[in-house]
Amino acid sequence: MLPATAAALAALAALLAWPVPAALGRARWPGRDPVVALVCWQALGLAGGLSIIGALLVHGLAPWGRSLPAAAAAVLTGRPAADPVRGHHWVALTLAAVLAAELTGVLALSWLRTARARRRHRELLELVVRPSDVPDARLLEHPAPVAFCIPGARPLLVLSSGMVAELDERQLRAVVEHERAHLRERHHLYLLPFVAWEAALPVLPAAARAHAAVRTLVEMRADDVALGALPGPAPRRTLAEAIVVAAGGAGGVPGGALAVTGGAVRQRVVRLLDPPSPLPAAARWTALAAAALLLAVPTALLLLPAAL
Amino acid sequence: MASMGELERTVMDRLWAAGGPVSAADLRERLADRGLALTTVHTVLTRLESKGMVLKDDGRPRRFRPRATREEHAAELMHEVLGTSGDRQAVLARFVGGVDAEEARLLRELLAGG
Repeated sequence: MLPATAAALAALAALLAWPVPAALGRARWPGRDPVVALVCWQALGLAGGLSIIGALLVHGLAPWGRSLPAAAAAVLTGRPAADPVRGHHWVALTLAAVLAAELTGVLALSWLRTARARRRHRELLELVVRPSDVPDARLLEHPAPVAFCIPGARPLLVLSSGMVAELDERQLRAVVEHERAHLRERHHLYLLPFVAWEAALPVLPAAARAHAAVRTLVEMRADDVALGALPGPAPRRTLAEAIVVAAGGAGGVPGGALAVTGGAVRQRVVRLLDPPSPLPAAARWTALAAAALLLAVPTALLLLPAAL
Repeated sequence: MASMGELERTVMDRLWAAGGPVSAADLRERLADRGLALTTVHTVLTRLESKGMVLKDDGRPRRFRPRATREEHAAELMHEVLGTSGDRQAVLARFVGGVDAEEARLLRELLAGG
């Protein structure tokens, strides 16, 4: 018989695998408060992994005990199973182990590969970039208007000469402040698990959707931080102008993740030109509480002794 | 003492400025302001060669030249660094990705109407 805990965790996992990320991906409020939305996505990803692995584990260990702590204690102390251990228990345990190993393994591998690619790119770039008028930015001789930063212990902020030529001083400042925000707030760390899990779970549409959403939210957050640092009368318009120039003029260089960029760029520009009202405090706290609950529920189901 | 990365950059700068193949001794002359030993120049050149930045000929003495012009190298780098494939998207944070012509027109309209 399936323990109630395993059934509850499985139901939660099913919700988190499809309907919840679909709803959050479609919702319009994340653009009003990217930080809260980012917290929700992180909680969703973590809770999803926790509940699916937890469901398999609780089911697989059911012959040893009705709850995870009881079953784990029984296994560790070498007590024999109270109920007969059948094939499906072993299948559940194997799946739990494989899934846990895959999720953490892919994350570690992705981290290593990313770090290696960053180091290589930084080394190659440092041979050709020159100092620019902006103290912490380097200039790369190329006609396309491009700006990017490579995060890490020694971050590198690169502006192409095309970018410098096509933007006025205020627009360029907006670009630099946007990239600085990525570096200062370490946005690459928010993205890493979603990039890794999309690679680990290519069959799960939620993984791709979550990755695209988080990518867009991180850009919106960087836009918001940049606005706060921009002097002048119309910082929103200045930043929007810079985005439109850079998005439209990048002929001859790879476009980036095209499937997501087109719509996401428009969202950013619309958001800058016609800013939505910020999320009211009550809604903000509700969303944060929902995120906390999302993590608390599977954790409680796993750790509390079975009351049912 | 300058870092190896900084030395490599300086050597590439001088090679690009030279406009033709130069020998290591010649290069040391061009770097006279730095007072480098010939072995150091050789070390830097070997490293640059292994990175695919520099080619050497079979002459005596061996002469070195950049594999590509600064502009070609920048263009190649742009492709490699901004090309997308899986994890690549997490490697760097780009200000904004390129969009197709139709989308770019739409964005300009947004800006004009806003």
